[in-house]
Amino acid sequence: MSEALAGTEAERAESIRMIRDSAAAVAPRGGDTRRVRALRFKDPGFDPAVLREMGALGWIGLRAPEAAGGAGLGMGEMCALAEELGAGLAPEPLIPSVLSATLLAAAEDRAALPRLLAGETYMPTAWQERPDTLEVPGSPDAPRRFIPQAAGAGGFLLPVREGGRIALYVLDAAGADLAIERTQDGGNYGTLRPALGEARRVADDVGAVLARALDEAALATAAYLLGVMERSFDLALNYLRTRQQFGRVIGSFQALQHRAADLRIQLGLTRASVESAAAALDAGAEGAVRRAAVSRAKARAAEASLLVTRQVIQLHGGIGYTDEYDAGLYLRKAMVLANQFGSAALHRRRFMKDAPEGAEE
Amino acid sequence: MTAAPAAPAEPEDLNALDDEAFRLHVRRWIEANYPPELRHPPKRLHWKDNKVWYFKLAEKGWLCPGWPKEHGGMGLSPSKQIIFTEELERWGCTRTNDHGIVLLGPLIINYGTEEQKRFFLPKILSGEHIWCQGYSEPNAGSDLASLRTEAVEDGDHYVVNGQKIWTTLAMDANWIFLLVRTDKQAKKQEGISFLLVPMDTPGITVKPIINLELHDEFCEVFFDNVRVPKKNLVGRINKGWDMAKALLGFERIYLGSPRQSAYALKGLRALAEHTGAWEEPEFQDRYARLRLDLEDLKAFYGVYVAKLRRGETLGPDVSMLKIYQTELFQRITDAMLEIAGENAGLLGPIEGNRDLNPTGLYIQARPATIYGGSNEIQRNIVAKNVLGLPG
Ligand SMILES: Cc1cc2nc3c(=O)[nH]c(=O)nc-3n(C[C@H](O)[C@H](O)[C@H](O)COP(=O)(O)OP(=O)(O)OC[C@H]3O[C@@H](n4cnc5c(N)ncnc54)[C@H](O)[C@@H]3O)c2cc1C
Repeated sequence: MSEALAGTEAERAESIRMIRDSAAAVAPRGGDTRRVRALRFKDPGFDPAVLREMGALGWIGLRAPEAAGGAGLGMGEMCALAEELGAGLAPEPLIPSVLSATLLAAAEDRAALPRLLAGETYMPTAWQERPDTLEVPGSPDAPRRFIPQAAGAGGFLLPVREGGRIALYVLDAAGADLAIERTQDGGNYGTLRPALGEARRVADDVGAVLARALDEAALATAAYLLGVMERSFDLALNYLRTRQQFGRVIGSFQALQHRAADLRIQLGLTRASVESAAAALDAGAEGAVRRAAVSRAKARAAEASLLVTRQVIQLHGGIGYTDEYDAGLYLRKAMVLANQFGSAALHRRRFMKDAPEGAEE
Repeated sequence: MTAAPAAPAEPEDLNALDDEAFRLHVRRWIEANYPPELRHPPKRLHWKDNKVWYFKLAEKGWLCPGWPKEHGGMGLSPSKQIIFTEELERWGCTRTNDHGIVLLGPLIINYGTEEQKRFFLPKILSGEHIWCQGYSEPNAGSDLASLRTEAVEDGDHYVVNGQKIWTTLAMDANWIFLLVRTDKQAKKQEGISFLLVPMDTPGITVKPIINLELHDEFCEVFFDNVRVPKKNLVGRINKGWDMAKALLGFERIYLGSPRQSAYALKGLRALAEHTGAWEEPEFQDRYARLRLDLEDLKAFYGVYVAKLRRGETLGPDVSMLKIYQTELFQRITDAMLEIAGENAGLLGPIEGNRDLNPTGLYIQARPATIYGGSNEIQRNIVAKNVLGLPG
């Protein structure tokens, strides 16, 4: 356990609160979406200056050890931050950047890591070869798919299987064979055809680190989705309190009250699931226990975020179906992230495999 | 694909064919006549893009399967109407600008004067009049009866002022049917009239709204001293609400028709085969459940079509059909998203293949539980007007 995680409960809570407050710099609490809208559906899909700001705030190195130039903070902090960014729909690829920072820190790479940590370059890890998986085949020439916000990448990390190990390469984006597809939230996915000849080899085996980092990314994504759900639900609650039909506010109709209550339960479950998983990881959970905690949270967040964001549209009636109104932004973000780093079904399966025996009372 | 054999002579009475023969007859004609580039459009097409199909159907006399023959419809039996719809879906045929066919036509047939029938019905059948539906207003959605767009008498005209919203494809339409307030003193349902208005009348402004599909499909329509001849009133003055309610029956049976769910289920299967989920027993069970839901929905739909066929008016219970169909449509698209992996985030279809469009369908399915009377309102109707529960 890193030093930063060794404090008392009160110190941890304070550290998490500070992270939340600092997130407001990038994801304003008032729910202003103008910045987000302005970045949609054009390259690179996010604001590189904001990514640099995130770097300057120490967020990209949040999980990396202090020796590597990181902050060595825990998943509690990471999830709190991701949740705030989700509430603000921040399109900057923080979670993929943190994943890459974890790998480069483990590789003890001195060349690329500082620029990545500073947010000066976005360097996602191109690990995925098919949809809905957490497995890393590391095929040397298979296209690497679903690279988030790849249109803004300055380079890529490439895990490549060599014998029983997963070596790590760094590939410059200039001249890379990259195809871009737009996503619902206004961002993009890249498909990269790796060219190992041009790449620099930086580590012999990151297999175990990568598996853990993917789990952390899954959990952080669950936290981001929690923020998305919260803000989207707030929008609906406000509407229920103000929109009038039949001479009353619509929030006085019992059918809608029950719906809102049900959604609030899902929010409560998701928060409990995400926060308890983060606490378990920070307390040093390993192996199957660690994976099960992550899977429980991601399965819940994936399903609940889709449910909440689509019900929020319904609660608004016609205006919910306009692009001008923000409810749709949350719906689209949930569509993009619900299955990233594993769908609910994948995580449910994994949970059943990994959950400790005898845990069912 | 094998070339469709030359179409046999058109049978005298389509209803006399047995169901399978009818299905093949329809299928052959669709395959031979449907513009291939319009198959499975990823978004609802505007008039300029779908009219070629409207005219093809019109020319064949197949535009209005549910209208009686004497008014230029096909007069099809319920089971054949379902088959007809299934075949259109099977081939991925586009929806046309069909407000005249589905809504206004039946209203005129039931409540219009002889003169109105003679004037309006042929123009729907020929595609000369393209209609849109001007009911909802910014403050009158679920509570439609509180609408405020008003029509004031002035000689042999009404003068209309106010605003409609969510008017689907108003930018394509050259006529709008309106609910307007003609008596501000009466109880709110009793001061509403039904007016037919040419869209090129001075004082009408149409402003498109971009929807969640990022498509300009619905609009705001503004009325500023718009003069409408009195002969364009349908039914009696201040009696528009009852007719509009009856028309909602037609809208609800249309929205309750299995076509959206059937189309989506096909998409779900194609997607599952693409992702490999099709091989998984859990998915098979989920799919079987959705498929059975669809089969039962078809049977349920047949019950209502049969009532129409017997000349009965649809009661409030048709709301059940609208609720079940639209929510089944959504459940199918929810399943699509859940099995699509990262492709659940794509803006367009997977690999550009229109048959694999989980995100497009997921978004398209959202408003189905809002338009045509939200499902909350439909449930209130079932509880109060079908079950007679108090409140
Ligand atoms: C895609 C689309 C196309 C449309 N096309 C047309 C068209 O062509 N012409 C036209 O006139 N209209 C059209 N509409 C409008 C549609 O009929 C209205 O959106 C619908 O009636 C709901 O009204 P509203 O949007 O004002 O929502 P509201 O009435 O404000 O409803 C908001 C929420 O409150 C709920 N609610 C309201 N009252 C109650 C209650 N008593 N009990 C429980 N819940 C309640 C609703 O169900 C909804 O969830 C369209 C709408 C959409 C989305």
